[in-house]
Amino acid sequence: MVYITSWDEFVDRSVQLFRADPTSSRYVMKYRHCDGKLVLKVTDNRECLKYKTDQAQDAKKMEKLNNIFFVLMTKGPDADITEVTSKEQGEAQPAKRGRGRKQ
Amino acid sequence: MVLLQPDPFLNELTSMYERNTEKGSVWVTFKRSSMKSKATRNKMASAGEIVEYTCLVRATDGKKTISTSVSAKDQQRFQASYATVLKAHMSKLKKRERKERKKAAEGDKKTKE
Repeated sequence: MVYITSWDEFVDRSVQLFRADPTSSRYVMKYRHCDGKLVLKVTDNRECLKYKTDQAQDAKKMEKLNNIFFVLMTKGPDADITEVTSKEQGEAQPAKRGRGRKQ
Repeated sequence: MVLLQPDPFLNELTSMYERNTEKGSVWVTFKRSSMKSKATRNKMASAGEIVEYTCLVRATDGKKTISTSVSAKDQQRFQASYATVLKAHMSKLKKRERKERKKAAEGDKKTKE
């Protein structure tokens, strides 16, 4: 299995993989409390990227990655994820009214 | 496969984590989905309608599977609640091993003396 050692590399490559094929790419997370291990996998059924850890600090980084994927999946692969930081939560609410397509 | 609304899904996810504390794993999968069949999607695309996508979130412990569909509107709220659930349950991960080891080593020396 392709385990990536650098977190940043894992994030970059998985976002790239998803943008290349958003319909078949998926992000999987497995957590085992008894072993205290967390494994993340991003695949498009051709290529597979994995990251494993037992560190609490990686759980925080994973939360950011979760947010990135949520945005990419709900708004589309071309969505701007550079805003996906704590700022977005404050700014997004007033901005939402202006963005709506249905309006 | 049980399809739920986002809030009940989070409740079930919480119980799933609690049940699998002593042994077992919890898998959570995110996938982009339009919740429509390929034929319908192609028709909509050729008719010029925008195909709306949602994020399909599935969770399983190997025995039971639950899922929910998160749309762009629910996304912010779900994201925050989901993060809370994860933070609450991923307590077994190690925190700053090196510093802990040093402290533990110092602590051991003190107790031995």
